[in-house]
Amino acid sequence: MVVFALFIISKAGGLIYNREFHSGMNKLSSNDLLMLAGSFHGMHAITRQLCPNPPTNPTPSSNLLPTPFHTRATGLEVLESSQFRMQCFQTLTGTKFLLFTEPQQPNTEAVLKKIYELYADFVMKNPFYTVEMPIRCEKFDRNLDGFVKVRG
Amino acid sequence: MVLYSFYIFDRHTECIYSRRWTPARPASAGSKTTRPQSGSSITSNGDATPAQNRKQADDEKLIFGLVFSLRNMIQKLGGEDDTFLSYRTGEYKLHYYETPTRMKFVMLTDTKQNNLRPYLHQIWANLYVEYVVKNPLAPVEHPGGIGVANEMFERGLEAFITAVLPA
Repeated sequence: MVVFALFIISKAGGLIYNREFHSGMNKLSSNDLLMLAGSFHGMHAITRQLCPNPPTNPTPSSNLLPTPFHTRATGLEVLESSQFRMQCFQTLTGTKFLLFTEPQQPNTEAVLKKIYELYADFVMKNPFYTVEMPIRCEKFDRNLDGFVKVRG
Repeated sequence: MVLYSFYIFDRHTECIYSRRWTPARPASAGSKTTRPQSGSSITSNGDATPAQNRKQADDEKLIFGLVFSLRNMIQKLGGEDDTFLSYRTGEYKLHYYETPTRMKFVMLTDTKQNNLRPYLHQIWANLYVEYVVKNPLAPVEHPGGIGVANEMFERGLEAFITAVLPA
């Protein structure tokens, strides 16, 4: 399995983490990456708005309280190009995880879920990490490396 | 399978043909009866309300902007010869085909569909080129969609879609 890169985009659209595992995609300057993350944030919102059949909220059954979570259209999940495939996972709080892999890569969703777990364990539980700020957590880096290399 | 809409954009960013089958036609209904009735295009949506028309025009612009930016993003990341194929959300999937002359063919379907790029290519080669480009009465450019939605093209598209994308 070839995983090219991982980006994490904060809920405000800022790039808070980027990591390259394999070369294969163009090298971009950090400025370009920030711009890319910002524009992807916008495109994600548009893909959600373009939904031709918006999901309807299930009618609450009589013995249950209505759920506070609205079912909304999800934005872009998989983007395919001839050279790579991008899987996007958005958490309930709006943070987006982008994983760039080979075009024929199966099971990327599960990989992203696992990365989300690592993020929860080693970033969110790190007392020195400020939310919405760039992620600099050594343990997260190391575990991520270990996880991706073992799968690779 | 469910087909939501189909758009053609010319190289001047203008939507020259659009056709939509929304609100979603029931997947179980016979395709031959539902498709022609619910179809609407630039020339034939006279019965839509102004609000609906405005929303459609907005959607066209949004889709153009979106595929344009996605294509640029992909070329930045994957190199000049990388091409944008499709994207999928939880609810729908967008298929994309760009001709060498920068015309863009976009189709929205349900999520279970495989890549429709070969079909979009066929629509361009067998329908658009045959009935629009080779039509001596059609203008070279199509401002506002003039000359695209002619009877032959509409009928050919209808037949093509019912033949290769059974409901």
